[in-house]
Formats: sequence, C-alpha cells, structure tokens
Amino acid sequence: MAVILLMEDLMKFNYIKVVATMASVMLAATASADIKVGFIGSLSSDTGLSTLRGAEIAIDELNANGGVLGQQIKLVTADTRQDVTEGVKAYEYLAETEEVDFIISGSIDDVSLGWLPRMQEYQIPTLDTWTSYIGIIDMLVEDYDSMKPYFMNIASDEALATLYIDFGKDVLVDKMGWKSTVILQEDTAFGGAIHGLISQAMAPVAGIDVVETIVYDVATVDFAPLYSRAVASGADFIYLISSVNSQVVSSQYVKLQVPLGMTGVNVAPMGQDYWADTGGMGGGMSTLTPIPAVGMKLDPASQEFVDTYQAKYSSRPIIPHFNGFNAYHGLKQAMAAAEEAGGFNNTTWVTAMEKQDLILELDGELWLRYGWWGNDEIEPRTGRTYPHNLRFDITEPFDDGAPSMVVIQWYEDGTNAVVYPEKYANGEFTLPSWVKK
Amino acid sequence: MLEIIIQGVLLSGLYALIAVGFTLIFSVGRVLNLAYGSYIMVAGYIYFYFSQLLGLPPIAGLLLAGILGSCMGLIKYNLIVKPLKGDHIAVEISTLILAVVLQSAVILCFGNSAKILLPIIPGVMHIGNATVTFNVLVATIASWLILIGLYLFIKKTHVGRAMMAVSMDAKGASISGVDIDKINMITWGISGFLGAIAGVFFASYTQLSPTMWVAPLIIAIAIVIVGGIGSIIGTLMVAHIIGFMEIISVALISPQLRGVFTMLLIILVLVIRPKGLFGREEL
Amino acid sequence: MGLGLRWYHFFLWAGFIVIMALMPEFVSKGTLRTIIFANFLAIFAISWDVLSGRTGYISFGHPFLIGIGAYTTAILTKRFDVPVEYAIPTAVIMTMVGGTIMFLPALRIKGSYFALVSLAFMELIYQLVQVIRPDLTGGTRGMSGIVTLTRGAVNGYYLSVTLMIIVALCMWLLMRTRLGTALSAIGMNEESVKGSGLSPTKLKLFAFMTSAFVAGLGGAFYVHYLGSIAPRALFDINFVFTIIVATLIGGASTIVGPMFGAFFLTFLLEYLRPYLPGAERYLIYGAIALLLYMYQPKGLYHIVMSQLDRFKKRADDD
Repeated sequence: MAVILLMEDLMKFNYIKVVATMASVMLAATASADIKVGFIGSLSSDTGLSTLRGAEIAIDELNANGGVLGQQIKLVTADTRQDVTEGVKAYEYLAETEEVDFIISGSIDDVSLGWLPRMQEYQIPTLDTWTSYIGIIDMLVEDYDSMKPYFMNIASDEALATLYIDFGKDVLVDKMGWKSTVILQEDTAFGGAIHGLISQAMAPVAGIDVVETIVYDVATVDFAPLYSRAVASGADFIYLISSVNSQVVSSQYVKLQVPLGMTGVNVAPMGQDYWADTGGMGGGMSTLTPIPAVGMKLDPASQEFVDTYQAKYSSRPIIPHFNGFNAYHGLKQAMAAAEEAGGFNNTTWVTAMEKQDLILELDGELWLRYGWWGNDEIEPRTGRTYPHNLRFDITEPFDDGAPSMVVIQWYEDGTNAVVYPEKYANGEFTLPSWVKK
Repeated sequence: MLEIIIQGVLLSGLYALIAVGFTLIFSVGRVLNLAYGSYIMVAGYIYFYFSQLLGLPPIAGLLLAGILGSCMGLIKYNLIVKPLKGDHIAVEISTLILAVVLQSAVILCFGNSAKILLPIIPGVMHIGNATVTFNVLVATIASWLILIGLYLFIKKTHVGRAMMAVSMDAKGASISGVDIDKINMITWGISGFLGAIAGVFFASYTQLSPTMWVAPLIIAIAIVIVGGIGSIIGTLMVAHIIGFMEIISVALISPQLRGVFTMLLIILVLVIRPKGLFGREEL
Repeated sequence: MGLGLRWYHFFLWAGFIVIMALMPEFVSKGTLRTIIFANFLAIFAISWDVLSGRTGYISFGHPFLIGIGAYTTAILTKRFDVPVEYAIPTAVIMTMVGGTIMFLPALRIKGSYFALVSLAFMELIYQLVQVIRPDLTGGTRGMSGIVTLTRGAVNGYYLSVTLMIIVALCMWLLMRTRLGTALSAIGMNEESVKGSGLSPTKLKLFAFMTSAFVAGLGGAFYVHYLGSIAPRALFDINFVFTIIVATLIGGASTIVGPMFGAFFLTFLLEYLRPYLPGAERYLIYGAIALLLYMYQPKGLYHIVMSQLDRFKKRADDD
C-alpha cells in the first residue's frame, strides 16, 4: 500500500512539474519568446567561469543593442563539475528541459567527449571554447553531417606542437645554445600526443636531440627523484608536458631549485591568478599557451572586453583565461550567424557560422583572428584539414591568422611576458636565477 | 644511490605521519575512518587561510590546523560513531559520505583551482647529488618525533596503555574498568590532530585541491593493510617499504607504474597474509 | 516453494510495471532523461546489493566490475567493429571473470579488509586502463562516438526501464529463495552456515558471479546509452559513493530498496539544479544523504515497512 502511495507521490511530483512546464512554455510562447543560450561547464573552476563570464558580457552587449532576431537573449547554466557523467546530464538538461537554441561550452576535454554523442543526437549548435582535442576535429572530418553543429574556436592541440618546434629552433637552439633535452611527460593521452609530435619533429627540424623521456604518474607526490633523473640525463634542458596537477610539478621545480632550465606545455601558469595561487613561488616557469595569453598586449576590442570584465567581476579569475575571449567573440559570431540564417537551424546556421570572420587589429597589423578553416582547406605545414576549427597560422609571418599559441614566461618578481613569437613578444626568455649557466 | 636513500627516507617519513592517525583509529576503534583524508584536506586549507592569506606565522597556522583537526575528530566521534553504536559498516559509509560532503564544502569556500602552499621553511640544501628542501626535511623530522612521542605515550602513560588494551580486547578492557567511551574520544581527538599535522606537511609537499583527500587516504589504507593493525612500529616500517618502493620504481624502473606497485602490494598481502606483516604485535 | 509470494506482491509489481510503461505520457523528456540515469543507477545498486547487501562482503570497488563490462563492449564495438549483439554478452562474460578474480580474496578475508581490497582493485584497474594499450582503451581521455542502441529520450527510456525491471524482478525473486536466506546467513555468521552442511564458498562464488553478471550487463548497456566512456567517470570514488548510498538509503538486502534509493538520489540531485546551480547543490545533496542515513541506516524501505506494520497493527486492533 505504502509503495503505491510512494509511486503515486512520485508521479504527482512529475505531473505537477509537467503542468508547470507546460504553463510556462505557453506563457513564454505568447510573450516574446527569448532566445535561449545554454552554458555548459564547471561553475567552480577558473576555466568554466572564464567562458561563462565571457558569454555573459557578450549577451549583455547584444541585448543592449536589441538582441538577436528581435528577441532578447537569456542565459541558462548547467554545471558539470568537470565530471564526465554530470556533463552528459547537463547537456541533456539544457537540451530537453531548457530547450536552448545554442550552447556555449567551457568544458574540459574529456567532459566534451562525454556529451558529444548528445550533441550529435540533438543537433544543437555548440561552440567549444577550451577543449582542443584534435580527435574531435577528426570526428568532423570523418562524419561531417552529424558533427556539423559543433565548432571549436581554440586551435587544436595538433597545432601547438609546431609552434614549439619553431620556438625550439629560434630561441632554445639559436639563443640559448641548447642541443639536447629530456622530456618529462605526464602519463595521459595529452602527454602522449604532445610527446609524439615533439620527439618526431623536434629532433630533425629544430636540431634538438631527445636524450631521455621520463613518464610520470599524475598522482606523483614527490618529484625529487624525477628531477634528479632528469638532471642526471645530461640534457641541456627539461621539456615538461603537464596538464593535470601542473601546480605540483611546477612548484616543486621552484622549491627544489632544479639546476636545469625548463620549458614546455604546462597548464598551471596560464592564468593570471597563478602568482597568488603559488604564493609567489612560480618564478621561472614558461609555457606554451593558447591566446590571448597572460602578459599579451591586446587589440582595442579585446582590451575593452577585459575592462568591462574587471569592472563587473571581483572574484577570481581576475582576468579571463583565453577561453573567456573565445566565448565573448565566438558567441557574438554565433548570434550574427543566427541573424543571417534567420534562426539556429543546423544547416543554414552552420553555413552562416562558417562564413564568420573577425579580424582584430592592433596598430594596423592583424593581431587576433576569429575565423574558420575551410572544410576542405589543407593547412600547408601539417598537411591536413581542420573543419570547424579556429583558423590559426603557424607559418611566418603570421599574417593569415593569429598564431595558434605563444610562449609566455613568469619572472621571479611576479611579472610575466610573452617571449615568442617575436611579433607578439614583449619580454625575453630567461633562465631562473638559481640555474647557473 | 645516496639520492635514493635520502629521498626514500624523506618520503617514508611523510607517509608514516599520514598513516599513523589512521592506524590509531583502526586499531583502537576497529573502524575505517574514510573521512580521514578530509582531516588532511581541511587542515591544509585552514593552514593556507591563516598562514598564507592572513599572514600568521607558520607555527601558529600549524597548531591551529592541529587543534581544528582534533575538534573535527571529536565531533565526528560524537555525532557519527557513537550514535551508530558500533555498526562498523554504517560508520564507514557515513564517513565516506562525510568526506564527499566536505569536498563540496571546500569547493564552495575556496573554488576548484589548486593552490600551492609556501614552504613552511624555505630553502634547499644539497647532500651529494640530491637536493633536499628544508620543508621536506622538517616534515620527516617532525614525523619521526611524533611517532616516537606517540610510541612512548602508548607504552608509558596510563591513557596510552588503556588505548592498547581497548585495541586488543574492548570487552575485556571495559570489564577491567576502562572507560571505553573516553578512550575512544581521546583516540579520535589524537587521530584528528595527527591527521591535520600530516595534512599541512602533505599539502606543502604537493598542492591543495578539493580532491586531495583521496590519495593520502589510499596511502594510509595501504600502510595499515600491509602493516597490520595494532603496531606503530609496523606502521613505521611499512611506510618505509612503500616509500622506498615508490622512489625506486620512479627513479629506476618506470615512473608511470608508481601507483600500480602499491595496489599490487595491497592485494598480495591481503591474499597471502591478511594479518599484515606486523599485525597484532605490541603497540 | 520457498518464495512466499502473496497476492499483493503480484499487484505491486504489476502496478509498478504499468506505471513505468506509461511514464512517457506523463512526464517531460527532460525528466525521462533523469529517469534513465536513475534506472542505470538502480541496476548498479541492485548488483551491489546482491553481493554486499546481506553477505557482509562490502564492496568499495564495484566500479571495477562495471568498468570491465563497459570497457569490453566499448573496445569491441569501437576498435574491432564487433556487432553489439556479440559485444555485450562478451562483456558480461568478461565481467564475470572479473567477479571471480574479486572473489578470490573473499576466501580469506571479509568485512572492512575486503572492502579495502575491493577499493584497491578499482584503483588498480583505473591505473591500468590508462597505461596499458591506451590506443585501445582511449587512455585517460576515454573514447567518444561509441555506437548507441537508441536515439532519443523515449527509446532510451524504454530500453533502460525494461532492463531495470527484468533485473530487479529476477534478483528480487532470487533473493526470496532459500539461496537468498543462505546469503543472509553468511552475513550473520559464516561458521554456522558451514555447520549446516552448505558450502559458504560455493554460495559466495554464486553471489559474486550474479553480482558481476548484473554489473557487466548494466555497464555494457550504460556505455551504449552514453556513447562515450572515460576512466575518470567510471573508476571514481564518487561513483562508489553514489551506488552505495543509493542502496543503503533505499534499504540494503531488499533489492527494491536500492531501486527506490537510486530514484530518490538521482531526482534529488536533478531537482536541486534550478535552485542551487553550483557547488552548493552537491553539498546539500550529500548532507541530506548523510542525515537520512544516520537517521535510519536500514533505509527508506525499512521506514516504509515499519509504517506499514504500524498501520496493519492499528487495523488489527480496531
């Protein structure tokens, strides 16, 4: 008996919800039906917040100018907590319960992979601002039709390695005189992918010899033996590949005062809060980073965005990470595409979005570019296509698009600068004070 | 070679400190306190808040964290363990839920991003080829001192010996006049304090993050299983076994298998000698 | 026959099945999606309950089994183009092999020690999946684009609810036989079971096998519903926590208890979403779970049953 009562209660709860939803939908339909944008990402991480706030500011500005298609834009959020299962639930929530027209994502790689099948099912236009996994672009190449509402406006990780080879050649070899490296790599898919690209291309192209590769478990507590091993390898510098728990390996490098120069791909120093987070023990770290990076000069439009951001938000992150910029510019482009296509249909909107091209100039030069590769356009250096991926430029003189990445460095006094490529550099690559030359 | 020995001793000291609080509860109270890792996490954040954000001297931060850990232990005992009246499974489940709740609380207060603690004592020294940070050295020395102190406490003081008695046979101990409730309370309080101190050192080694309670918990579990319950000496020795195993696998074999060896060791010991290597010896 | 079935059992089950069958008529698609997750959690919780609900062998590493089922079918269908009809049964068989492996330590240890070893199993497979043949397993990132069996909320719902009801009904009936009583006896006093002529080893093996069967089945279908798999999502202490709490809050050893516990927890979390968007949601959710569990460790089922008894008693008194 009680069981039936329980089931009835459950049903009633749903029934009431159904009635309420129907009522609100009807109400909304008669009133001015808003355009709904859904945010999917973690509401408690710097990454997620950057995208969310970039989207919020873009929406505020668009609404102030009359909205899109004559309607105001409403933003709803779905928290993923950087958890893959929650990501799927969040996407379903946005699609089925909130019935959003467009989704802007600040998800990390594996969370995006988690909800991708749902995107393919629902065919909701989705813009990913942080995830850079080349495998997703491969999915677009293989199955364009089901993947086409998806756009990724950050250069895929395939592109970043090529910039590093150039950095290796121009700065590490030519300037620092280094000839050999020991790779210190985390044991993840990301680590493996970057390692593959570097070890296959770095040696022949930049002339840097990979002496040894040390693969470590991301839960490693004590890096002292690893750094000892690296120093003992006799290489000229350490090339670090770290995306998980990067703070640990970075801070231990500083705390242990490892007597070797180090650079690489390291997620920790990519945000402006890095200095506060490490309590000032982060000097000397350098890394490849997507743009716009910390320490980089900005074009007027992006600078205005930062000013608006800092006036509006007082909690961290104090400056949006690069994906915040991606969200800001990208969302505006998505809405412009909707205006042109008359809606968010997955064919006309896609075509309109593919045509979006925003060139941001600084002092008359091309500084940033938010545009897309043609679906069949081959990038000359890597010899492959990048459908629905941000148009980047990895060949000199970087006038076709922004470089996929830049190299930044933090100095021991808490300042930071872009050190490569030259066009964007406002500082020099230097060794930390404890490394004797 | 010297490097490996030095690094092994240092890491093992830290691991021993982490494990001893957990062993105490398991030996005396016979429950798995799955929220033990939370002492470590919360203590780390408390230290961060007071010493790094507010600028108090490290000792003050350390003591504050320790006292808070103690309080947490006492509260946990009174609100969770006692009401569940010795249902071990229920206590374990409740502490697991509590650990997850605390993780959410930390995310709420401090956000998701990892933070680095400033070393409690900055600077490095070089012994041969090895670089040793003063911070880690202090952690190891502190852990040895604490372990020796605890050992003496258990052996020499009245309360300590009562704890030993309860750990061996609770019913018998209570018949001979020991106040089980009081002993349990003291044990939980000490365990919380130890966990907190270990937490501050562990956090200063690695980083603060809301998920940092899992790894030390697994280490503590490994040491308790392999070492066996009821033995502080056992804890110390197994901490060294596991610590050295890690250093050797990282330095000489393959760093990515670091975690695998520990897990295999646990499974092996549990299947071959479930009592643990040093189980049921004198405390 | 030792099943002890009464008329009201048929009535309740029939009523339940009818309600679940008609559910899509009453609720929105969004709620259906939530129910689908609840169905799968119910299957995992039932699997856990079969093993740990009454035998005293508490598994803290159940995702070990679920993960074997999930990864087997994912790798077979995605990397080797094996059709789903073969991949899923293979996955279930592999999971049962895993169940046997997990059973081996149970020959010598129980209780908290066993709980820890099962946790170690889960941690081990988490490490191994990332390290060994990441080209097959997808490494740390996992895999996406795995073949899905259904499209859309309604179809996914019917598949998951059919699976869940079949599993629940079978396990419920199974636990009502003398087998179920024997397993409970093991939980209370293993020695006496041996004394009464039964082989606790065979019984335990049976429990592990059955639990593994359900876990493998659930894991395989789960992966084909999600279309993706990630080690971080599966071999996660939070997942362990969710399964165990669902079972315990619902009522361990009852099979139907875990089912209701799974529904309760899933809906609680989703229901809070519009009100508490961020981290507060999980805090409240965990706090509610803790309070509920402490209030009545025997679970909702027990609360409901004791109310029922009181009701019956009052009816008798009148």
